[in-house]
Amino acid sequence: MRKIVGWFAPVLPEARVAILRSVLYVFVLLDIHVIVRDPIPLSRHPELYQPLLLARVLHLPPPSVPLSVTLYVILLIGCVIGTAGRLPRLAGWIVAAAFTWWTAIGMSYGKVDHDHLALVVALWVLPTVGVVNGRWRSRQRSAQAGWALKCIQIAVISTYFLSALTKIRSGGWSVTSWPESSILLWAIIRRPHGLGQFLLPYPELLHVMQWMSFTAELTSVVVLWLRGRALLAAAMFWMGFHVFTAAILYIHFAPTVICWLAFAPLERLGPWFARVKARRRQRTGRGAARHPVPVLRDQPIDGAG
Amino acid sequence: MEQRAISRVSLTWRIVVAVLGIGLLLNGSLRMSDDVWPFGPLSQYAFSPPRDATIVITRVEGLLTDGRRIDLPLRVGTAGISRAEIEARIPQITADPSLLRSVADGWTERHPDEPPLVQVWLVQDETRLVDGRKGPTKLVELSTSVVAR
Repeated sequence: MRKIVGWFAPVLPEARVAILRSVLYVFVLLDIHVIVRDPIPLSRHPELYQPLLLARVLHLPPPSVPLSVTLYVILLIGCVIGTAGRLPRLAGWIVAAAFTWWTAIGMSYGKVDHDHLALVVALWVLPTVGVVNGRWRSRQRSAQAGWALKCIQIAVISTYFLSALTKIRSGGWSVTSWPESSILLWAIIRRPHGLGQFLLPYPELLHVMQWMSFTAELTSVVVLWLRGRALLAAAMFWMGFHVFTAAILYIHFAPTVICWLAFAPLERLGPWFARVKARRRQRTGRGAARHPVPVLRDQPIDGAG
Repeated sequence: MEQRAISRVSLTWRIVVAVLGIGLLLNGSLRMSDDVWPFGPLSQYAFSPPRDATIVITRVEGLLTDGRRIDLPLRVGTAGISRAEIEARIPQITADPSLLRSVADGWTERHPDEPPLVQVWLVQDETRLVDGRKGPTKLVELSTSVVAR
């Protein structure tokens, strides 16, 4: 039992949570302008609205321009407060709710994207850690921080692992149907912009790539138990995977990619930054007239120094 | 480094929530549809097109008063709506072509310097795969609507 508890809620540095919060709230600001940027224009088309289960269960009103603009303003203010590390619970939960609603609106017009799972989870769990004393430079560790980070890590890995399960399901519960299908060819023809054009004449190569990505997705769960260099290697592999899919298909998974930071020892940034600053101060503070090398005739007049 | 204390209750609800969340995600992927977002299946590019699949790109074309027939790119920045959203509504649009006005309005609003639209078409570029390789492409008109002014 203790082992299970320790896995779900490991004791981890709170500084990592504080830094991750700031990064993610900045990312949300970017997201609502660059990625899920259509809720305001979409809310002008009530005839195309098809509410998701979430909206029906919570009886959310249908999107309108005043509603989507209000959510937008709430997100702007909430994210600025959140980035500064103020009111972590209040601002955090307001951003979580507003962003979930905002994104749900974006997904209620027929197309549902799957790159926001980890980010939505992160926004809901990060506020539970509450106030982090010392913020980015906190020297405290806690299971509260560890649980929030573990949830984000699980959500990141689920994005890959569950997509492999979905591929098995959609292929009639067959492991080979997706990797042997013409899916990449299909995707490249549908998105004729990226470097994928050059791969069109080589369907066999596309099959090899499908097998590789499917195997990686299916085995991705292992990452949750990796540490140190092995974890770094896995993270580099998945970053490479995303660069590759972005290059050939113009599909980025930026909201998932940013959440990989939950695996990173961000807590080292605070001390590292402090060391860099101290070294610079030391360098500029030494020597007469604040010069790094003695300057001729800049010695004290009495010759004593 | 100091360690913050955590109560038994605090730890219990956290583990319950995590296990429930994993359960919901698995349930979504194995049994549900996109409707249960954010717990739905991760179904983007998760299907398996056969070696003789027909690949369809849906577009909207518009006739301008100056006689040019142009592609109205289906992106939020150019038409106020994206291709996927139009694709999801093809049956409704063929039943009621006037729904194309959302694209026409969105495009006109964002292109005030262009001449007005007279008529819009919902079209598809159909590319056939032949034995797993790219084959010929043809244009199919699905629906059309005269733009009321």
